[in-house]
Amino acid sequence: MSDRDDWDPAELTDPAAGDGSPTVEVRTTASAALIPTIRAVASDLAARADFDLDAISDLRMAVDEACATLVDVAAPGSALRCRFQVRQDRIDVSAEVEGAGVDTTVATDTFGWRVLETLTDEVSVSRTDGPDGRPVVGIVLGKSAGATER
Amino acid sequence: MSRTDPEYGHLVPLLEEYAGLAPDDPRREALRDELVRGYLPVAQHIARRFAHRGEPLDDLTQVATVGLINAIDRFAPDKGSDFFSFAVPTISGEVRRHFRDLGWSMRVPRRLKDLHVSLNGAVSDLSQRLGRAPKPTEIAEYLGMPVADVLEGLEAADAYRSSSLDEMLSSEQGSATVGELVGEADAELDRVDTRQALRPVLAELGERERTIVMLRFFGNMTQTQIAEKVGISQMHVSRLLAQTLDRLRSRLDQDSAPG
Repeated sequence: MSDRDDWDPAELTDPAAGDGSPTVEVRTTASAALIPTIRAVASDLAARADFDLDAISDLRMAVDEACATLVDVAAPGSALRCRFQVRQDRIDVSAEVEGAGVDTTVATDTFGWRVLETLTDEVSVSRTDGPDGRPVVGIVLGKSAGATER
Repeated sequence: MSRTDPEYGHLVPLLEEYAGLAPDDPRREALRDELVRGYLPVAQHIARRFAHRGEPLDDLTQVATVGLINAIDRFAPDKGSDFFSFAVPTISGEVRRHFRDLGWSMRVPRRLKDLHVSLNGAVSDLSQRLGRAPKPTEIAEYLGMPVADVLEGLEAADAYRSSSLDEMLSSEQGSATVGELVGEADAELDRVDTRQALRPVLAELGERERTIVMLRFFGNMTQTQIAEKVGISQMHVSRLLAQTLDRLRSRLDQDSAPG
């Protein structure tokens, strides 16, 4: 790993994350046009963390799917926040938006959810109360580096 | 013939003779060779006009020569037009098609294209050896290049979405038929309780795209396993899956729009 000196995980450590794992957070307007930027971050982090190519591609597609799902239910003009935590052999992603309405949720009986379940090791919906009565809805997913005989 | 260029004038009667020969005439081949040799500077000139766009001049000259041969074969002197006004667009068209078929933006540096080819080969060899998809460090070691270069190559592969280059590198041998492959996955699809009508949307996909989606999301296969089954590269499977998901998403969104 000595030749990957262009990226030092220690520099990215976020004290707020609590466990000292390197963290990257991307915040964009909740717009489909900005998803390619977020998924490029996902695949770059996975490639630099030496995930196998299947896992890199899976994470990239999963982040794409999660963000697209959230952008669909986001309040107009609100923000999409996507946080990546790079752990040992695993990347955890949490993406969230402010929901468009009080009863906004992420449906899990869809093909998109099936896609997320297939591409990740774990995936779940998060939902908390936002500041102005609207919920903050999110998707939390984890992907391991692969490279175990499957 | 209006054009009496001193350099090419002597070829005009040969063109007329060539056009008049029967398809199985034994003199055709020698005559065609002579015409191609005679008009070769035209092809070379056109190839040079397309140089500096990331393709080596040798390759361009070769493509332009194919265009020239097509022009010689298709030229009909009795239509009254002059050979140059027919040949020049024919040759230029061939060179343009070459760029388009390559699928790469013309601004992609040659080095990245070469890297893409090396990566594909390495991924395929390593996948076979390891029984899984390789990691960037493993590819770097295999190719004897820095990991940074491998990462750059992978990024380029994502950025340029060059499916036609993948097509070129993919072997069609060993491809199983869709029926063989998706039987089990199809049963799984039935068990998935989605609120969307997935089947009609899947039916709109091309056969290969549908097979790949079925195997990945309903057949529990990895991209590397699918690549091996379908007979294309892992990187190509990755790209096709991403494109197809995108398409499915927009189709399903339309169907399940609020209302």
